[in-house]
Amino acid sequence: MTETLAFVMDMLVHATPLIVAGLAVAIAFRAGIWNIGADGQLIAGATAAAWIGVSTSTEIGWLALPLALIAGAIAGGAWAAIAAWLRSRFGVLEVISTIMLNFIAIYGVSYLVRGPLQEPTHVYPQTSSIVTGAHMPTLVAGTRLHWGFVIALVLAVTAWWVMRYSAAGFRIRASGANPFAARSAGLINVSRVTSVAFIVSGAIAGIAGAIEVSGVTFALYENISPGYGYTAIAVALLAGLNPLGVIGTGILFGALETAAGTMQRNIGVPATTASVIEAVVILAVIAVAQLRVHRATSVA
Amino acid sequence: MIKRFKLSRWYHISTLSTAIHSLFAISILACGAPVENRKPVTNQFKVALVTTGPISDQGWNAGAYKGLLMIRDSLGARISNVQTQTPAEIDENFRQYGAQSYNLVFGHGFEYQDPAIRVAPSFPMTAFATTSGTRTAPNVAGVTFAFSDGAYLAGIVAGAASHSGVIGTIGGTQVPPVVAAFKAFEAGARSVNPNVKLLTAYVGNWEDASAAKEQAMAQIARGADVIFQDADAAGLGVFQAARQAKTVRVIGSNSDQNEVAPEVTLGSVVIDLPRAMMMIARDVRNNTFKGHVYQLGDADGVVLWVANPKLAGEVSPATVARLDAAKKVIDAGTLKVPE
Repeated sequence: MTETLAFVMDMLVHATPLIVAGLAVAIAFRAGIWNIGADGQLIAGATAAAWIGVSTSTEIGWLALPLALIAGAIAGGAWAAIAAWLRSRFGVLEVISTIMLNFIAIYGVSYLVRGPLQEPTHVYPQTSSIVTGAHMPTLVAGTRLHWGFVIALVLAVTAWWVMRYSAAGFRIRASGANPFAARSAGLINVSRVTSVAFIVSGAIAGIAGAIEVSGVTFALYENISPGYGYTAIAVALLAGLNPLGVIGTGILFGALETAAGTMQRNIGVPATTASVIEAVVILAVIAVAQLRVHRATSVA
Repeated sequence: MIKRFKLSRWYHISTLSTAIHSLFAISILACGAPVENRKPVTNQFKVALVTTGPISDQGWNAGAYKGLLMIRDSLGARISNVQTQTPAEIDENFRQYGAQSYNLVFGHGFEYQDPAIRVAPSFPMTAFATTSGTRTAPNVAGVTFAFSDGAYLAGIVAGAASHSGVIGTIGGTQVPPVVAAFKAFEAGARSVNPNVKLLTAYVGNWEDASAAKEQAMAQIARGADVIFQDADAAGLGVFQAARQAKTVRVIGSNSDQNEVAPEVTLGSVVIDLPRAMMMIARDVRNNTFKGHVYQLGDADGVVLWVANPKLAGEVSPATVARLDAAKKVIDAGTLKVPE
């Protein structure tokens, strides 16, 4: 019982950044923006949150947490805004610019944890721990599950509602589905709509990073993201870019990650084998989904 | 059907053994305390190892895994190991091992000390030991190695072996322990040849062997003929570069790497991780474990200079004598290896 409970809790902890980053990818893809840079935006968000977490005074108490989350969102949005600006101003393909920005983010963190943000003894490449006011409170006492998971759920439902029922959501979907039709028939400023969607996507990815720092790692490290932003692409595509579906697929991938750890600990399956199994599962699921689509269309 | 049959048979056996166990327990305890009777009476000694990299790296992590196996073989411990890909997974694994009441959990790297301090209070029966860590708690110990002791000795060999007077050092990332090791290496070399020129390069990570090979080839092009590598899995690229250059010699790090490329390796600065881990495991076993920093070096037999016997001819008797003298001074604690 307790072991199962611990597994479920760890699974939801793993799922949290994947759900949030998955939402970021889903929104961008819906707008026709191939945002491959959720990883960099997440790292930018984590960095900003860690910076707030180590530099604010302890006197502001719990206010540090919302401040860190907002800083994460702003940093993630700003990171995406670079690619959005390059796209609208010079027509730079976002697939290329966002990937490059991922590397800049990774090496930027590498520099920061050895330079300006390094912990005071200057021995370890990491920041010092964030103030307790910036810690995400735990959701279930005695486990690692934190309120970030609830934030992920709220974000997913909000994104679903906005995309489906609001005018802004309609403009995003129209711009993504057919930009020319959206421009000529709907009088939509496609360039502006997609730019805004891109930045919102980055901000959400930034929140994912901020949640990870405030709820799980409590400090900034170099390898803060094991490629959450890339896994998020699989999470979003598997959910058919539906924000509510992202909750389910995020939890699925969280379960895979957690099970990989359990297999290593209890039966000595090497980490690499676990990663291979994970990738095979992803491939199989995508192939089956594609097969279904194929069958459905060929019958019709 | 077959499955069900097996299941039911297993059930019978387990209830039978449970009954026997409870009989034992009751007769021993006599008083009616609630009996948890599924576990055997003797608690097995359980030890876990958590690493940031693969245990197949022929270096830092491989040495720790060897230590884990030694603990299994000589203390009869049940062992488990796991590789964490991100800092986020560290807490998770520490908690899982704590919940499964492991007696000792090794976190093999500086990344583990903050999580250990965080998790340890929830699992007071589990001892946590973090290598390179310096923070402690009642059940958290740090383990630091005086790697510079061995690096100084390696410097003596390199200084004597270099014909060009140019020696190289290649590290993974520029972390303080590696910087300190290179300084000690330089000091050792200068004690033999005061005019020796030192080249230093960092790969930027601990995995990219081809990048390390390029760094080594660049140093060779600038005249280096002895290269000391402390770059973990990436360091294997330094051996490849030396093999191509033929006249260049390499000094290995962390584990005995003399067999990686016997024809070009002068020796290795070895951290005898198994020995260090055994020391700590014994302390836990004998209930003498204390939450303090274990500082282990040449005098403890944990940091060693291991010469490659196949190239023994390239190290002159004078150098060997010099090594022995330096070793004595280091063990007596009177040589100040530069930090």
